[in-house]
Formats: sequence, C-alpha cells, structure tokens
Amino acid sequence: MSECAASASNANANEKMASLLKEAENLKAKLEEERQKLNDVSLSTIAERLEQIAFVNIKPRKVLKGHQAKVLCTDWSPDKRHIISSSQDGRLIIWDAFTTNKEHAVTMPTTWIMACAYAPSGNYVACGGLDNKVTVYPITSDEEMAAKKRTVGTHTSYMSCCIYPNSDQQILTGSGDSTCALWDVESGQLLQSFHGHSGDVMAIDLAPNETGNTFVSGSCDRMAFIWDMRSGHVVQSFEGHQSDVNSVKFHPCGDAIATGSDDSSCRLFDMRADREVAVFAKESIIFGVNSVDFSVSGRLLFAGYNDYTVNLWDTLKSERVCLLYGHENKVSCVQVSPDGTALSTGSWDYTIRVWA
Amino acid sequence: MDVMSSSLQQQRIVVEQLRREAAIDRQSVSVSCDKMKKYISEHEQEDYLLTGFTSQKVNPFREKSSCTAL
Repeated sequence: MSECAASASNANANEKMASLLKEAENLKAKLEEERQKLNDVSLSTIAERLEQIAFVNIKPRKVLKGHQAKVLCTDWSPDKRHIISSSQDGRLIIWDAFTTNKEHAVTMPTTWIMACAYAPSGNYVACGGLDNKVTVYPITSDEEMAAKKRTVGTHTSYMSCCIYPNSDQQILTGSGDSTCALWDVESGQLLQSFHGHSGDVMAIDLAPNETGNTFVSGSCDRMAFIWDMRSGHVVQSFEGHQSDVNSVKFHPCGDAIATGSDDSSCRLFDMRADREVAVFAKESIIFGVNSVDFSVSGRLLFAGYNDYTVNLWDTLKSERVCLLYGHENKVSCVQVSPDGTALSTGSWDYTIRVWA
Repeated sequence: MDVMSSSLQQQRIVVEQLRREAAIDRQSVSVSCDKMKKYISEHEQEDYLLTGFTSQKVNPFREKSSCTAL
C-alpha cells in the first residue's frame, strides 16, 4: 500500500472509531436516563409496611468431616438428601447429609477442584478446577466412577463453576479465561461460547422460571451479565460492585439476581427495572462475600463471608436478620437444599455444615 | 492496521451490546418490586428456613432423640 493510501485508510478507521465511541457514549447516557426515570421508589420503601422477620430458628445440625483441605464447592442432590463436595485436596465426596456418612469418594488427578454439580437426574456429577477441564462421573461404585469418567470440555484457564442447564446432556461452565461455554456431554462438542467479560468468570446461575435459556454470570471485571444461551449475547449488564463478583444467584421469582463480592457487599439487581435495587452491607462488615443463595420464597438471602460467618439478610428490607457462627475459616459456598429445608455451607476449615 | 481493525471490531461489539440493552422493555421499580414482594408473600408458607417447621419432628435434619428404641 502506498503511504498516501495507508494514511487515508488510517484516517477512515479513526473516523469510524470516533463515531463508534460517540454512539457508545450516547447509548450509555440514554440507558442511565431511562433507568433513572423508572427509579420512582426504593425497595426498602416498598417493604416498609412489611413486618420485620422476628425470629429465625436455624441451627447447626450436621458437620460433614472428611476432606483434608479447603472445601471449595458443594451441591445438593435433587433427592434433597445427598451433597457432593469438591476440595483443594483433589477429592470429590458424596455425603448422605441425614446420616453424615460418606457414600463415595473419588480422587482426581488434580488439586483445587473449584466446582462440582449434580446432573438433574442425580445420576452424574460434573466437576473441575485448576485442570481447566469439566469432567463427568457417573454415580456408581467408587472404582466404576473413576473408570467411567469422561472429559467433556476444556478451557484455556481454570474452570471456576459449572451447572447442568436443562438435562444431563449439556453442561454450562465459567472460567478464568473470562468466557462461559455450553458443552454437549455426549460428544464433548462446544455448543456455544459466551464472550463479553473482561475478567475471570467466578460464578454462573440459571434462571429458574424459563425454559432454561437465560443465565447470569459474575466476574472479576466487577460486572454481572445476563445471557441469552441461544444467541450467545449479553442481554443485560449490571455494575455497581467495587471489586470481584464472586457469586451470582437468581431470585426464585426469576426477575432479579443477587450478587456477592470481594467489596464485602451483596447486591440485588432487578431485571425488569434494569437496575440495582438493594445493597446489603454494614460498616462492621469488612470481609469479602464468597457465595450467596436465597431461601425458597426469596425473602432470605444467605451470604458466606471471609470472616468465617454466614449472614442472613432480609431481601426486601435490606436488613441483617442474624448471623450463623460455626466455621473456623472462610465460608466458600452456601446453598439452600432443593426443598428449602436446609442450608449447606462449605468452608476452608475442611468441613461442610448443614443448618436447618 | 491489524491493531486498529481489531479494536474497531471490539468497539462494534460493545456498541451492538449497548444497542440491545437500550432496546429492552423496562418497568418502574415500584411495579417490578411489588411483583417480587407478591411472589415472596405467596411462597413464605413453604419457606422452612424462614418460618420454621410446624413441628421439629418433620425436620429431616433434626438431631435424633438420645433414646432409641431397640
């Protein structure tokens, strides 16, 4: 290319860039204006007349001991009785939460298994972590589990989270490579990849009330994105956190999400109003949030913190209801059982506790 | 040039996403949060962690009584 033509095309590209930047700026301003227009009242005002949550009778019921290092992730079985846990020790343990017995234990060739998830049938588990892979195990005998494992997908960095979105046939993963990916279990084929975050993806959750085509992701870029699984596009984006978003969870009504962050706050974003509607924080809380989940009605928000505590928040009033003490190190994961009868918490103190 | 065209492509993606986001339907906070409040009140009765069990006997995670029948 001649120097003259090159500089002309350079000028052209610069012009296009300037116009795109301008449009982005205008769109952002318009978005902010629209959101502000609909911000007619605060959630806590709407909740003002509701009665306070007087007394929550949640007690420590079970302690599951067996991991030899930090518990990084847990998942309730659809049978509402078993729990799978994954740990820094490279082991996957399936527990009977009623009796605290270990029913299965599998040692993986890697440490730091950061994610594990039951398949909807309860017959398989998916897991992975620092090995960058998502691996599926059938739940049978320990020997058979190890023999029949199958690698479904591979990221270019650690896998931080995984869920089965619709059936045993597909797995959705999030990764330190800043993408999410949808995999076909049988063929290991990448069905859709989700680009948009500019930092590690830390958590994903599936919308409860739809046909399984919407999910949310939280990232170290401080954002939470709502995705359309079919198109691979971001539908909505929520900002507000001042540090990594470690956890995201849909409200059971399906039209809001909660987030937990290293900035020591949890937040509630309303998808219909397209904005943040609540911040769950206190001056006395200075440690990061690793994991959040809702009670079945969505009135309570459970959050696990780096200060070893679990805080219960009133979702509507944005007030703290109480604290659960018991763990002796960071609380890495919290999850309400499928029927809402119990809360499981996993910790860096090597244990999992069940509260009910 | 390659750097320029890739950053142009990047910016196009950003703008396309913003266009999609700007086009969505929104509701006011009062309307939307009222719906959330309604959902919660309709489901509070089945929320054991919130309202507790009617009797501890139905709590599957309660401690078994220290006396067991042999």
